[in-house]
Amino acid sequence: MISSIRFELELALRFLTENRGQTTLILLGITIGVAVMVFLSALIDGLQADLIDKTVGSSPHIIVTRQAQEPLQLPEGSSHTGLFPLQLQRSGNRPIVEWQALTTAMRHDSQLSAVLPVLDGAAIIRRGSVSKSVALRGMALAEADPIYHISDSIIAGSPKMEPGSLLIGSELASELDLRPGDTVMLEIIGQDPISQLVGGIFDLGVQNLNKRWVIIDRTRAASLLGMQDRVTEIEMQVNDIFSASDLAQRWAERLPGYEVVSWQESNASLLSALKSQSNSSYTIQFFVLLAVTLGVSSVLAISAVQKSKQIGILKAIGIRTASVERVFMLQGGILGTVGSIGGTILGTAMAQIFIFMASSDQQFALLLKPATVAIIVALTLLSAILAAYLPARQVARTNPVEVIRNG
Amino acid sequence: MADTLLKAKAIIKEFGAPVPTRVLHGIDLSIECGEFCALIGNSGSGKSTLLNIIGALDRPSGGQVFIEGIDLAGLTDDELAFFRNQTMGFIFQFHFLLPQFTVLENVLIPHLIYRGKADKSARDRAMYLLEQVGLLHRRDYKANSISGGEQQRAAIARALMNQPRLILADEPTGNLDSKNSAHIFNLMRKINQENQTTFLIVTHDRNMAFSADRIIELKDGLIVRDECVCGQDPNQMLAVIEPLY
Repeated sequence: MISSIRFELELALRFLTENRGQTTLILLGITIGVAVMVFLSALIDGLQADLIDKTVGSSPHIIVTRQAQEPLQLPEGSSHTGLFPLQLQRSGNRPIVEWQALTTAMRHDSQLSAVLPVLDGAAIIRRGSVSKSVALRGMALAEADPIYHISDSIIAGSPKMEPGSLLIGSELASELDLRPGDTVMLEIIGQDPISQLVGGIFDLGVQNLNKRWVIIDRTRAASLLGMQDRVTEIEMQVNDIFSASDLAQRWAERLPGYEVVSWQESNASLLSALKSQSNSSYTIQFFVLLAVTLGVSSVLAISAVQKSKQIGILKAIGIRTASVERVFMLQGGILGTVGSIGGTILGTAMAQIFIFMASSDQQFALLLKPATVAIIVALTLLSAILAAYLPARQVARTNPVEVIRNG
Repeated sequence: MADTLLKAKAIIKEFGAPVPTRVLHGIDLSIECGEFCALIGNSGSGKSTLLNIIGALDRPSGGQVFIEGIDLAGLTDDELAFFRNQTMGFIFQFHFLLPQFTVLENVLIPHLIYRGKADKSARDRAMYLLEQVGLLHRRDYKANSISGGEQQRAAIARALMNQPRLILADEPTGNLDSKNSAHIFNLMRKINQENQTTFLIVTHDRNMAFSADRIIELKDGLIVRDECVCGQDPNQMLAVIEPLY
């Protein structure tokens, strides 16, 4: 068996190298096909990874709140494209008393990469006669940085949140003409205005946050809002971004009475758009693969006819039917292997050239996933071998008597 | 007395459906080890059909074939393939060498089919056979780059590779000129005499037929003559057979 495969492989190689022109053409076909599939995958994966990163990279993937059973409300003026970070989509929350026990449990979940308890409140910032309604966000900087990268986003002043100072967004700063060290009045409903120092100005890259957020330390927020030791929500990031909805589901089961929302739920239309995009890419790839398969099949069918006399004599000499089948399947396999390798190289090269040429305006980077390439190569190989199956069966049934009789 | 190599009992062969045409009408034939037999007959007499059945390339519609006591009907297709490989050598009118391989590799193919690789003893045998057929100097040529006569000689060497007990030849010289024909015939005769290899040769060539040990003549699917020619005067035999052709 093993030893006869050795001869079958030799025969397959000789058959392929004999028809050099035919073999070169079909190899070129497979190479181009695989290259297109690899390039298209890199393009779509890169685009989607970029889009997802921009949407949820610097925002929580899961938010836990204690909420009355109300539907999520999109912020005023937002469109319905769903391209909105989760933190903009909240309404009034009930405080979470046992938040410390919860966050401790969450930090033990190895699938979560960041846990951030936040105390939210509504406030008004006033400077002179101008006043702005803002979202007062009480959070510990060390806990917030893994999600929001606030320390890295400070464009003026210092990220330190000392007593009596707060961090404001760049939009709010320009609207109120504030600089670090300036003093503003902070009004919390039902309480007397207090004077605060602008410690730092951040740019989180999202206009709404830069306009609405005022960040202070959580314990100070608690005392300002009269909330004692409570938070209004717990925000989380996960290691595998697409596992967020499953994780949210799991935590929702563990936490009855809480609402656990993943980024997928609040970005359903983005995900459906990405899915449609993937589907159209799969459709193109399917037809490329089909064309490759048909090409291999037709080339081998022609080769089978050309070789029928030689197969006839080999059968007279004693080669088994299954052996002849394998000779042609091996030809398919060899074509598939060489074509896939060539195609992967060409596709990667095309992707590199694309990156090089597009680097001037860095829209997004191509993403060449080894797993995707492996799947493309495996599918191409499988298709090429399957494509060889019909010609293989046909030629393997050659009756040596027919060949001998007709010369 | 020599052992019986081949025994065919009441071989019937029909072709076609739904109305079958009977090509062989019950052939009984026995061939001893070392015999050199010529199978003659008009075209359509069924001689190639009989050769294919004896050669285990085709199965009879009725009757039995025993080779070295083995009933071929009891073997599966794969077993038959292996049996052919080990027991029989084929020489056809067309040489059917594989053009992708060299002359030496072509001779080795019956060995390679089941062994995958040629060891030294296999290579030595192939070289010996090439020397026997006078093609040693052509061993590294591609099979399609040598002359027709040389190709047929290479095909003979190939048929002998696995030391078969029975060589079946279907018009082995049908495609060659008289000089090459004589060369091929003498070669087969020599192999027969030196190794006691049994030959069954389908031929239209009268001279070749009369140089055999035994002439078996087929007509309309039946054996009409089966006689030993050794020691007889070819001219006398010629007179007997002549009217038929």
